[in-house]
Amino acid sequence: MDKPPLVLDPNFSGASEDFPAVLRRKGLLQIVPEPTAAAGSHSFVPTESTTILAFKFAGGVLVAGDRRATAGNTVVYDRADKVLEIDRHSIMAIAGVPATAWEMARVLEHSFQYFRRTQLQEMSVDGKVRALSKLLRDNFGFVVQGVGVVVPIFATYDWNSKPEARLYFYDAMGAQFEVTDYAATGSGSPAVRGILYYENSWGDKKLKELNEDEAIAIALRALDTAAEADTSTGGVDRSGKIFPLIKIVSREGITTLPEEKIAAVFRQSVA
Amino acid sequence: MIEEPYRWVEAIANRREYIETQLAAGSPIAAVGYLDGILFVTLGRARQKIFEIYDRIAMGAIGHPGDIERLRLAAIELASTEGFTRSAADVSLRRLAHYSLSPVMKTAFEQVYGPPYLARLLFAEIGSSPKEDLFLRIDYDGAIAADGLTAQPRQRFAVLSGTRQSAELMEKFLQKEHITDAVLSDAVNIALDAWSVGRLAMGENGTKEIPGRDVLRKHRGEQLANAAIEAAVLERDNKSAIRYRILADEEVRSGLQK
Repeated sequence: MDKPPLVLDPNFSGASEDFPAVLRRKGLLQIVPEPTAAAGSHSFVPTESTTILAFKFAGGVLVAGDRRATAGNTVVYDRADKVLEIDRHSIMAIAGVPATAWEMARVLEHSFQYFRRTQLQEMSVDGKVRALSKLLRDNFGFVVQGVGVVVPIFATYDWNSKPEARLYFYDAMGAQFEVTDYAATGSGSPAVRGILYYENSWGDKKLKELNEDEAIAIALRALDTAAEADTSTGGVDRSGKIFPLIKIVSREGITTLPEEKIAAVFRQSVA
Repeated sequence: MIEEPYRWVEAIANRREYIETQLAAGSPIAAVGYLDGILFVTLGRARQKIFEIYDRIAMGAIGHPGDIERLRLAAIELASTEGFTRSAADVSLRRLAHYSLSPVMKTAFEQVYGPPYLARLLFAEIGSSPKEDLFLRIDYDGAIAADGLTAQPRQRFAVLSGTRQSAELMEKFLQKEHITDAVLSDAVNIALDAWSVGRLAMGENGTKEIPGRDVLRKHRGEQLANAAIEAAVLERDNKSAIRYRILADEEVRSGLQK
């Protein structure tokens, strides 16, 4: 006779659900409808936000995003935060629909903490990367309907086997790509990729060798260039003094650069 | 079926006795307020007894590991979903204990054909000022003892132990020795002494008076030689939203007084 399969008490922590599953059980997380072939014509234009970039430099990973959110060709908001702290060592930057992206960031943030608290150990970097991938995959129904595209970048510091900064970008279906040098997504990303590729190949220094001020300067120049041709990218608003949001992930954790610091580099190296 | 009321009362009394016996050997836990927050300390050989529940809430527990685990997971799930759907500021230990954990534990205890929770829990929640700190204990029957919810003079510490005698003596010791604005290393010393008081008061031949300093330090030294210090803090002015931090055994030992 076959042995019966081992049935674990659902309360046993080793068999416990991940946090999104807990939310679904309680009806607190929307279950996205399955993708349908023809999404049809939709007159609803979702708010979107654009152009984020990240690259490794001497002090860790720099993650930057412009501040503009648009719906079609209307500017909705010029102080959007697209670079979000998920835990002490992880940043998620978002291009796409903020409503979906911010919700994802909240789920992700709570997932990592929920895992640490219930399982009494930190989630591995691979586990974290995979968790975001799964959220994107679960959201694909909205993507097909044209209302919930999110294309994030994920930067974190790996404390395990070999301590180092790690950088990933995703596509809207949830595939993750680890990069060695830089990543950019959003509508202004072609220009940004061009600049980062150029700088990394023929610039004075490789991106990895830049110090903090040099890295900030490159990030600002790249976002300003993206904004030059892409209406959905805010770049640096010179009159309103709105600067891109820049955060750095390093061994010590996450640093949010103060606006004065960004303004100083901007005046010296960009304007 | 238990048809006559007095049989039910008898069954409950038996159950209480059984649970008390089961819990009697539990290693004490002391939670004390100090200059920068709240410190949890216990000594143990194997099992973890101090846990993070949410950004500002920590828990210490004695009892059966399976029951502690179920209650711990329930508390984390409740706090996490509340923090997710509303905000971290809406997660409150008072509500968690009064509306969720206590009724569940009381029901399990009183339904004499089902298993009770063999666990005694000690919670602390750190506020934005010491005045808003909350210490709270839930017993296996759902009874709640709190320090911080009433207008009574505040103690700013709480203890958990296997027996009433032990817990009462620890409280008596802390009422005398606890300093609310001690630095961390001093708080660790006082909490470890309180632990020793609790330990020495356990069992039938346990001490009924607070032992002298020499006796305490000798006992503490012996215990420290073959057990690990388990300690964690909830820090008030932590820049991160998460206030819970585990203290490593070496970090704690380096500040010990002889």
